[in-house]
Amino acid sequence: MCDIIWCKKCNTVNYLDPYCFWNWEGKVNCAGCGTVYYIHMIQGFMYKGPEERPGEKPDISPLYADKPLEGYKCYLPGTPGRTRPYNCLPRSKYLGKAEMVKFSIRGKPVRGWCPQPPSSGLAGQFPYRWDIKKLSPDVWQEYQEKIKKGEVKDW
Amino acid sequence: MEEKIRIEDLPGPKSKEELDEMKIPYEEFCKKIFDPGNEFSKPQALKGIRWMSCTMYIFTPHSVANLAELGAEVVKIEMPRMGDPMRHTSPFNEVYLYPLHDTRPTVGTGLGYTNANPNKYFITMDYHRPEMKEVFYRLVKISDGLTECYRPGTFDRWKQSYRYLQEINPRFIYVWGGGFGYGPKIFGGSYDILGQAHAGLASITGMPEFMGGYPVKHTNWAMDWYSGTLITFAILAALYWRRKTGLGTMIEFSQVQAATRILGYGVPLYGRFGIVRQRWGNWDTQLCVHGIILCGKSDYPDADNPQDREETRYVMVSAFQDADFKALCEVIGNKELYKKYKTHKDRVEAEAQVEIYAALERWAADKSRSEVVRILQDAGILAEPVKNMREVYESEHLRQRGTIRWLDDPTFGDVLVQGGYSTGLMSKTPRRVNWLWRPVGADNIKIYHEMLGYPLSTIKEWYEKAWI
Repeated sequence: MCDIIWCKKCNTVNYLDPYCFWNWEGKVNCAGCGTVYYIHMIQGFMYKGPEERPGEKPDISPLYADKPLEGYKCYLPGTPGRTRPYNCLPRSKYLGKAEMVKFSIRGKPVRGWCPQPPSSGLAGQFPYRWDIKKLSPDVWQEYQEKIKKGEVKDW
Repeated sequence: MEEKIRIEDLPGPKSKEELDEMKIPYEEFCKKIFDPGNEFSKPQALKGIRWMSCTMYIFTPHSVANLAELGAEVVKIEMPRMGDPMRHTSPFNEVYLYPLHDTRPTVGTGLGYTNANPNKYFITMDYHRPEMKEVFYRLVKISDGLTECYRPGTFDRWKQSYRYLQEINPRFIYVWGGGFGYGPKIFGGSYDILGQAHAGLASITGMPEFMGGYPVKHTNWAMDWYSGTLITFAILAALYWRRKTGLGTMIEFSQVQAATRILGYGVPLYGRFGIVRQRWGNWDTQLCVHGIILCGKSDYPDADNPQDREETRYVMVSAFQDADFKALCEVIGNKELYKKYKTHKDRVEAEAQVEIYAALERWAADKSRSEVVRILQDAGILAEPVKNMREVYESEHLRQRGTIRWLDDPTFGDVLVQGGYSTGLMSKTPRRVNWLWRPVGADNIKIYHEMLGYPLSTIKEWYEKAWI
């Protein structure tokens, strides 16, 4: 559930995400044309506003905005000057595809990345121990170098 | 003259030497008998028990995971090619462990599957097909029990409910775990959050509305984990009963019913006075001070991660006894507060709590979390930081006791595990985690061929027809 500011100047819908705006008072810019609106929200309800505040600086930007009348053209989180970045993403930019790691945070090799070689067993049978030295020699090599550099730790 | 509490007058050791002297013998004893990290040299309590698991998501798989960690041989039967839907549930898009199954190399199992499925053997079977009934019954004959989570009566329709299976194996223990169970909502399914809502638990969790709160669900599917554990208790009791009588049991476990167990005094309070219990959030209705407060400064203001930078500002404080509350008021420089609320009966009143916690947060407004904890602990008051996941990982206490540890999983490599070692230590028969989980159908040959003796050609045929 979230409220919106539908900017009639540029027909942009600015979504006020509840995590940020649930109890909030201040000025928000429109992601489309930059018009500054004052709002006061209490418990997720628009108590005051949106009122235009021309010439004033916004306190915050919306997280996401789109233009439903123009084929839902959208501004994704983190578009400079328009929307604010999504703080809790594990990566600096939202890539939309999996990032495979080869090593755990203590530097030992992990397996189970994508894509995997077929199991070569019958009926989906999977070998009990996946020997990384034999099946992923490149990762094994990288691991040996990490050990030499002292990058592999107990914790 | 001002009255001061001297450390010599407090109970417990008076010096570091005295502390060492007091703790060494017992400490050494515990370290020796529990010996975290050496679990694999010890026997397993439930070795010899074989359990079938027709389970999905967290609730029912966890009831069986408890058995598997204690040494039972658990055979988890999943949908061919697909597996448990929980495998496809993962926080964020990169935390999948691959492969899900041989036929789907670009699909993985999400980390959400963790802790509910360790040590199990994973086979696939479309057991509702008449062709697979014989295989299913043969497994029943050599197993001690089964846990399933389908809508009530589904297994009965497929001729594999307790009514049928006890004819094949009278010692069989049959568990149905699900939403509502028989009764007016027999067709109602359940999720953790539904259980919390239906049982009234969510209504008494979180802050009241006038303080900016709303009903809150216990996060991370607490009701699923908890209900699963309660099923395990029932299974262990049923096993004990079977030792005495030689007979199996049916356990019918409604999740929404289980959630009522932790409503505390809410129900009897209503019964006696007609009062509907309200939420009281991070504070306590029965104790004051006994809650979580917000500090002004983060412990890691320069950290990149917002969880470290913004969220490390909370401290739990407990000082409800008169002497503790007096010391707390002295520490925060507000002796008036103690004079006003000298007895616990005064403090625990709602209006008093609002005033007391506000005073505490005002005092903590210019301090960081660690400063607040240090000041309070130095004054002998119970206080601990509210830790995040990184701090849990770095906790020396959890590391020394083996609660958090690294596992070299045979399939997935270096993984950090906690669930199997979070459940209390056992000196003779400790729990253990052999593997996190295995791909869908990874043990088809082990069970169908090596255990039940079906020829490989038959297994291949089933596999090609997607019966397994």
